[in-house]
Amino acid sequence: MTPARLRLGLLALLAAAALVAGAAARAQEAAPGAEPASVVGPPSGAPLAGAALEARTEEVGGLLRCPVCQGLSVADSPATMAVNMKAQVKELLAQGYSQEQILAYFEHSYGEFVRLEPPLRGVNWLVWLGPLLALAIGGAVVVRVVLRSRRGEQASEPVAADAPGRDTLPDDPELARYVRRVRELAYGWPDGRPPKAA
Amino acid sequence: MSDPQATTNGAPSRAFNPRVLLVGLLVVAPLVAVLLVNLGRNPHVIGSPLVGRPAPDFSLQPLDGGEPVTLASLRGRPAVLNFWASWCVPCFQEHPLLVAASRSLGDRVRFVGVIYEDSEEQVRSFLARQGSAYPSLVDPGSRTAIAFGIFGVPETYFLDAEGRITAKHIGPLDAASLRAKLEQAGVTP
Repeated sequence: MTPARLRLGLLALLAAAALVAGAAARAQEAAPGAEPASVVGPPSGAPLAGAALEARTEEVGGLLRCPVCQGLSVADSPATMAVNMKAQVKELLAQGYSQEQILAYFEHSYGEFVRLEPPLRGVNWLVWLGPLLALAIGGAVVVRVVLRSRRGEQASEPVAADAPGRDTLPDDPELARYVRRVRELAYGWPDGRPPKAA
Repeated sequence: MSDPQATTNGAPSRAFNPRVLLVGLLVVAPLVAVLLVNLGRNPHVIGSPLVGRPAPDFSLQPLDGGEPVTLASLRGRPAVLNFWASWCVPCFQEHPLLVAASRSLGDRVRFVGVIYEDSEEQVRSFLARQGSAYPSLVDPGSRTAIAFGIFGVPETYFLDAEGRITAKHIGPLDAASLRAKLEQAGVTP
């Protein structure tokens, strides 16, 4: 097995685990109500206004997935739904809700799907640490293989099991006699027969 | 190759290698599991985390005027909350079914339409042409749609008599799934 194949395999394994994690992940809150306060409690931060409010709206909107055009964030999408959600994000920030409260509020309705960045909890850790882990394992495999090949640099390349060896002789007895004589002359083996292997 | 000793050294074993099999299985087995679990699923249908929970509270004005419809006002009998729009073709397809069901079930089930991203005139002319049997509610800024986690229209929520969400239907309803989900919400056939 080559290190490249091993690394590829490990990456595929981690990607598969991440997929399972994403499919299994579900929101856990159980509070009812459309009023954000009934879902995530009273605002935990300071109310925002002016330029700071605009900037935070873009930031928090950038962390929310637009439910209509699923590849875009709420901040980037021109869809009416995204515009409405962004307006609500702005309103909640102006009331002093924190980023985490706002994301949790939308997650209550849409599930973890609505977050563009999977939160660091449960199996989601794999998504964040998986690539680093794969890099570490792959690096270790590469170092090991390089060290081993350097150590055994003089070793010859592999030979097929049925390839002629040093004691192979042709079937023709006349020819075999010549081969043994050549071996005797070239290697100094008595009668052209190789010494017993150690 | 000048050394004859070398030719017999380092020949690899072509025999079965259990390590290769183990690592291969470690890689392949999770992939196969993920494929088996997910291939039958439509990735565009995302389950609602609200099913089994109390419905989000709301208070919306009916298009025809009158008292606002609230979650509390729906309690006491099962309810059907249909998010729809006049520009949506599947909504047009399921509309006669919902009107007929609302008429035949009468007081036993409360049907409510929630208008999604549409103009009031368009909805009025749609209802004038296609008939109506239950109130359609105006949802400014789609606040209620967002609270219910609406991705598009039509999407229909089924509530039991306590205001708890028993099911969500994505896409146009057909008679069989309407009947099944009404039963789930506590409507005796």
